Amino acid sequence: MANEQVGTLVLENVSKIFPQRDGQGEVRAVDNVSLTIHEGEFLTLLGPSGCGKTTTLRLISGFEMPSAGRILLDGQDISHRPPNKRDMAMVFQSYALFPHMTVFNNIAYGLRIQHVSRSEIKARVDKVLDLMGLHNLGERRPNELSGGQQQRVALARSLVVEPRVLLFDEPLSNLDAKLRVQMRSEIRNIQRRLNITSVYVTHDQVEAMALSDRVVIMNEGQIEQIDSPEEIYRRPVSRFVADFIGRANFLPATVEAVTDEQVTMTLLGHKVTARAKFAPAVGDQLTAVLRPEALLLKSDPNLPQAVVKQAMYLGASSEYIVDVDGQELVVVESDPSTEQIFREDQMVGISFVAETVHLLAQ
Amino acid sequence: MNHLIRGRPIAEFRRIIQDPVLFIGLILVVLFVSITILSPIYAMVEESLTEEGQELFDRYLSSPVYRNIIRNTLEMGLIVAATGTALGFLLAYIQVKVAMPFKRLMHITYLIPIISPPFAVASAVLLLLGRNGIISKGWLGVRYDIYGLDGLTLVLTLSYFTVAYMNLKGMMQALDPALDEAATNLGASKFRIFRTVTIPMLIPGIAGSFLLLFVEAIADLGNPLVMGGNYEVLSTRIYVSIVGLYNTTAAAVLSVILLVPSLLVFMVQRYWISRTSVVSVTGKPTGTPQQITHPLVRWPLFAVGICASLFILLVYGTIFAGAFTKILNVNNEFTLDHFDFVINGYGSEAMKDTTQLAAIATPIAGLLGMIIAFLVVRKKFMGRAALDFATMLGIAVPGTIIGIGYLLVFNTPNEITLPLLGTIEVIPKLTGGRAIFGGAGAIILVFIVRSTPAALRAGVAALSQIDPSIEEASISLGADNIGTFRRITLPLIRPAFFSGLVYAFARSMTTISAIIFLTTSRTKIMTHQILNEVENGRYGNAFAYCVILIGIVLTAIVILSVAVGTTTGAEKSIEGGA
Repeated sequence: MANEQVGTLVLENVSKIFPQRDGQGEVRAVDNVSLTIHEGEFLTLLGPSGCGKTTTLRLISGFEMPSAGRILLDGQDISHRPPNKRDMAMVFQSYALFPHMTVFNNIAYGLRIQHVSRSEIKARVDKVLDLMGLHNLGERRPNELSGGQQQRVALARSLVVEPRVLLFDEPLSNLDAKLRVQMRSEIRNIQRRLNITSVYVTHDQVEAMALSDRVVIMNEGQIEQIDSPEEIYRRPVSRFVADFIGRANFLPATVEAVTDEQVTMTLLGHKVTARAKFAPAVGDQLTAVLRPEALLLKSDPNLPQAVVKQAMYLGASSEYIVDVDGQELVVVESDPSTEQIFREDQMVGISFVAETVHLLAQ
Repeated sequence: MNHLIRGRPIAEFRRIIQDPVLFIGLILVVLFVSITILSPIYAMVEESLTEEGQELFDRYLSSPVYRNIIRNTLEMGLIVAATGTALGFLLAYIQVKVAMPFKRLMHITYLIPIISPPFAVASAVLLLLGRNGIISKGWLGVRYDIYGLDGLTLVLTLSYFTVAYMNLKGMMQALDPALDEAATNLGASKFRIFRTVTIPMLIPGIAGSFLLLFVEAIADLGNPLVMGGNYEVLSTRIYVSIVGLYNTTAAAVLSVILLVPSLLVFMVQRYWISRTSVVSVTGKPTGTPQQITHPLVRWPLFAVGICASLFILLVYGTIFAGAFTKILNVNNEFTLDHFDFVINGYGSEAMKDTTQLAAIATPIAGLLGMIIAFLVVRKKFMGRAALDFATMLGIAVPGTIIGIGYLLVFNTPNEITLPLLGTIEVIPKLTGGRAIFGGAGAIILVFIVRSTPAALRAGVAALSQIDPSIEEASISLGADNIGTFRRITLPLIRPAFFSGLVYAFARSMTTISAIIFLTTSRTKIMTHQILNEVENGRYGNAFAYCVILIGIVLTAIVILSVAVGTTTGAEKSIEGGA
């Protein structure tokens, strides 16, 4: 087979089928997924629970074998290679530290398996302890560490073996919110510094956006979209993606004119023109995606009027749910000044930033 | 799509083959279980189904004498199961839920019967409560005939209630105290909580203990031999068929009759009770259970608890005293003659041989239990449920049945005839000899087969508590299956491994029913010699054997705890953890 893949890690039409619990029928946990991960890239698999992202990661790591398709690492088929022969290291959701070993021995574990010399083990473990800010903790046991420290040991243990690919299975989900943000940027910094190809699984969209070069949105075992975080937020390919990443208002629209790729339609009483990635015809029903921050509220009787159903002041922003002709829309106004705060049941004029309108086929 | 489903077990199989050590290990385990457990049971069933056997079936099942024996067996099983479970429940409840003094001491006395050499309890109870008993005749002045069902119930309950006690105590401790608190919060009284929360949550444990005790009781041979009198049960009749009548077929037929209720109960326990368990072990205690302090509840229960402790101490004290006196209650002069008899005389070889055989069997059984537990819990392959089931048969099947099966399979060399090569001896004759190379191999195998199930269960329970990603982490870092088992799994299940080893050694040293048919005059086994002494009324010698046997087991526990360790190394830091 011609080997034209340039990626470090390639998934070719990979499927994983589990029999159902009751023994009747089957579940396609991963359904014909193809994916190319480049050298040094940080790629995140994102989706709701049960979307197949963890199974995909376990297929890459070798803890599950694909029912169909191939997985290639540096052009070599590793689909059926056992997980300990794959030159990948995984950071687990539960950290999976060896509770009967000290921090030092936890980190040294992989090196001992490789029969690295004693002096080199010492040097490399000390170096990674330093890198992770864990010096002086080498003789502690995992139970004597805080959650954040345990997380660091888990990461250190995977980094020290210098794997070809680093795998993360929701590593931050057991940390509290503040620590999660801190560890997030640490992971990102270290990954950049060491330039390790990484695959990261999470259901937290903010985490995915913050960390990744590219994000893979998965749903029901299939890939919905692969793109940079910005692209995914601005130009989601489906209603599912738009709804899953951030919040979105969906407005129905009828195509009034098409010139080149520019589609003209009427939204909230304004005539707007937007680019469509597909080719609609005049009269087609489309969905326009408007992010909450793209909608603007103003006390202006000349604008289409909306009723404020709910108003929440959040400090850095205000959030409103407004009713426009029976449709509820979410509006976020950042940095609200006092005269801009609206009350519930108040009538306000509504408009939007036309450039941010994004069109979906249905 | 269908071919993909069918392809799945093959893919898993392929994965096991990829790790040759794992694959060979699996093959060896399966072979071992087939040869040592399944083939003897099969041979025994086959023997009972010969023409002669079928005639015996008809005769036994229609004869009033045998019907009576079967009824006796079931009656005894049910009564012991009920009294043992009730006692175990009560004592566990007292330990967990009632505030009272001397709890810890009482707990320790309840554990003593775990190391009970056969005949020891029965003989002591006879001396205390028999026709010329110290208590019955000496103190109370009554001539009480304890032989029969009442005596059997007492000694079997005393010997086996610990199983129910440990089982139920564990479950009660695992019950989330928040449930009690929620019920109290909703206005329930303590008794109402007991009735509507505690009991229903423990039903699986109660039922499980009941069934376990039932099987233990109907399989027991030592106690009915000493205590039965005219009350005959299947196990004693099987014993007589072989030892007295040399009729293996009759014994096989009776064994199959005994096997039916045993296996039935085992299946019920396995496929029904274990599925309905509602106790969830979260490892996160939400509070300490509220203790019952009401004097009208507390002091009667205290009386029950302390009486049980005192009676156990009395029985074991009698064993101890009997070993050091000429004839207890007749001539209470201090003597070391009995010990001299065992240590320097007739019993010296048995002491060495039994310990040696048990010491060989113990590590094999312990390790085998852990390996099978690992395979069953962590590896996906066709037939892992069957492997678990087959291993458990080693204890689910009454010892007498295993013994007869071994007699049938291993009493002659097992040979296969191949073209060109002629007849090859695959397994030599394993019975009748003295030490291991003299042909006592079958006894070691029986020790292993009877002890592995307990190690397996302990291993399965321990493994289920360990997050599989800990092992996956090891593999992800480059270790293979064997390395992971040795470096990660085994250290983490060390407490289970330790208890498996202790159980294996204690069980091997004290077992009688499974090996009694495999010993000859050349095979010197302590329990067998104890039986001889008891049958000849030389209780002093028997008690000396028991004391030495208990001493050997306790010494072994100390040695094992030093050699293997009882902790994983992760516990200390839990207490002192951040």
